[in-house]
Amino acid sequence: MTAITWPLRGERTRSDTTSSIWSAVAVSVLAGFFALLALAGFHSVLVNGQHGIDRLQDRLDAGREQAQVLRMEVARLESPDRILEVAQGRLRMVPPPARVYLASVVPGDPRDPVPAPSANPFSRTRP
Amino acid sequence: MSRRPTHQATSGRGAGRAVPHLDGTRRLRNRCIFVAGLFVLIAGAFTWRLVTLQVLEPDRYLAHGVAQRIRTVTLPAGRGAIVDRNGVDLALSVPRSTVVADPRLVEDPARTARALVGVLDTDYGVLLDRLSSDRSFVYLDRQVDDVVAEEVLGLELPGLYTIQERARERPGDGSALSLLGRTDIDSNGISGLELVYDDLLSGTTGQMVVEVGARGATIPGGDYRIDPAQEGLTLVISIDRSLQFEAERLLADGVEAANAEAGVLVAMRPETGEVLASATVVRDADGVVRPSSDHRAVTWTYEPGSIVKPLTFSAVLETGIGSPSASRPVDNWVNVADADFKDSFAHEEEDWTVADILRQSSNVGTILWAIDLGASRLYDQLVEFGLGSTTGLDFPGEASGILPSLTNWSGTSLPTIAIGQGVATTPMQMLIAYATLANDGLRPAPTMVLGTRDNDGVFEMMPTPTPERVFPAEHAAEIATMMEDVVLSGTGTRAQVPGYRVAGKTGTAWKPHPDGGYGLEQGEVSYVASFAGFLPAEAPELAILVVIDEPTYPTYSGGSAAAPVFAEFAQFAVRQMRVPSEDERVGLEESGRVIAATPAQVQALAEAQAELERLAAGDDEVAGTARG
Repeated sequence: MTAITWPLRGERTRSDTTSSIWSAVAVSVLAGFFALLALAGFHSVLVNGQHGIDRLQDRLDAGREQAQVLRMEVARLESPDRILEVAQGRLRMVPPPARVYLASVVPGDPRDPVPAPSANPFSRTRP
Repeated sequence: MSRRPTHQATSGRGAGRAVPHLDGTRRLRNRCIFVAGLFVLIAGAFTWRLVTLQVLEPDRYLAHGVAQRIRTVTLPAGRGAIVDRNGVDLALSVPRSTVVADPRLVEDPARTARALVGVLDTDYGVLLDRLSSDRSFVYLDRQVDDVVAEEVLGLELPGLYTIQERARERPGDGSALSLLGRTDIDSNGISGLELVYDDLLSGTTGQMVVEVGARGATIPGGDYRIDPAQEGLTLVISIDRSLQFEAERLLADGVEAANAEAGVLVAMRPETGEVLASATVVRDADGVVRPSSDHRAVTWTYEPGSIVKPLTFSAVLETGIGSPSASRPVDNWVNVADADFKDSFAHEEEDWTVADILRQSSNVGTILWAIDLGASRLYDQLVEFGLGSTTGLDFPGEASGILPSLTNWSGTSLPTIAIGQGVATTPMQMLIAYATLANDGLRPAPTMVLGTRDNDGVFEMMPTPTPERVFPAEHAAEIATMMEDVVLSGTGTRAQVPGYRVAGKTGTAWKPHPDGGYGLEQGEVSYVASFAGFLPAEAPELAILVVIDEPTYPTYSGGSAAAPVFAEFAQFAVRQMRVPSEDERVGLEESGRVIAATPAQVQALAEAQAELERLAAGDDEVAGTARG
């Protein structure tokens, strides 16, 4: 007959408790580690997001300033003074001796003295 | 057998010398105590330091920490733009680079100054002074072009860098400069509308408080407060850019043609008092006629001459002592208070009606009616028209003109003032008087600003005073009819505009010399030629005044120097303002007739249409709800 020697009750309990404690500690440490890791990851995402917001804000500011510069440029290009300068300078246009003003009546008006053109007046091909 | 070492040697070198076991233990204990004490001291020092930091002086270090990580950024408020009545930019602020330096970091000020003098618009001496100073920040050149800024940075000189500022610029250069005014380099208004409406244009500076890390990056979740800057409002002025440009161009041509010194052209909508164009040109020292920065329409006074006569006759009609058809004999001269007054042209004594007198601009005829009118009534009428007092525009440097008080009138004051001499007005005052004639006797309150537009595009109209009635509408119509004759067959025939009925009056005034008097000989007399009028005479949309200062013979009269400029400008203006001609007005009520509109009118129509549709949609919803 084989005799089995069981550990004493008190010894088994102490070993289990120790093992449980170590397990709990290990689990806690791991949990803490992963929690911190997750927190660090979340923080990293947050920091990246904030950097993105900062970059967008900078781009927005730069875009606004650029829009203002372009608005100024458009106004300068549209100014009559500049148009006259280009027309008489670069394009060598000459002001007419007298100006002819067309009647401010749109084509199709029943009292329009000039009939609306039936074909494209700017066409290069003769009708 | 014990393996413990014996504490006492029995032979060898150490034999006989006692090495007590207890001494080594004590030494070790002492060392331990020393080290422990040292640690305690260090720990105590740390503890004391921590107590100092955390308990005794926490505020100081908290403040230090806050100062390190909290950054307060001032958010500059952009200055609002000035746009014309059609929304075209006339003045706006744009970002510009400013070259600055930290002289403490500049290694060789002389070499740096030499390198910069060819790039920046600053003298070598000034640069050297600034770069040699012991300050940490100096301006080297403000608001330079981007090309210049890049060139400076390309030199890679230590201590130099650029910052961004906002510069005020006008796309049309000198056009409307006298009206718009200027700002200083810090964008504060110093003249013109920039000064008058500086509060509205400036806006309010904002502030941003943000918690930043070591590299200046924002700390997520940190302190972040923002008080946004309130951008300046956009000022919508009543000027039309195209009209302004054409006014300046035509006026300069007119001043050249008359070989004159200066000119003023002002245009206004008589019903609303909106100034559409206000041009001033001056012949400079080089003999070139160019737009001036002096807004002479309100700052310059002159004796207007015969263009005052319609005002005199308005009093004659209002008091009932005469009518357009009332006639009287008019000689070539008249003596009043021992002074002779003559007409500018020779003629025999003739029976002339009031209309004839005005058409031919007879001084004698006007004086005869003014004598019947009396000084008091003439004075009251001129005051009612606004002569002698500022117009209410509140423009910087606006002159009130000179209308002597009645108690100071001499015997010759009545005849001279009745024909526009001995009284000084600004061009704007005379234009308002003519706008009153055009507006059925209602004197409009002049305005150069229609309103403001905020950054959301919401337009707020500028409040305007109610027009004041100066004289009855029926007399205004009679005056307008007589003034039409002036243009049709009188002294102002060169002011005719094809397709439009024009009412106006010429003026050729003697210009007083600075030391008094007008000069006696032909060569000594200087003139101020003017033409004031409105069109279409039957329903005035435009009132225009042209003044040519010191024209020379033979183009010295209002009819020859000023009237042609009026006609040219009016012809352009009616097209620009989409004012239909007489022919175009006929049958305007017929269906299918469409008159082209200005961009502003199109926008107003579109907004009105959208509002109508919105209201209609609202009504439908209400009706649907009621039915449901």
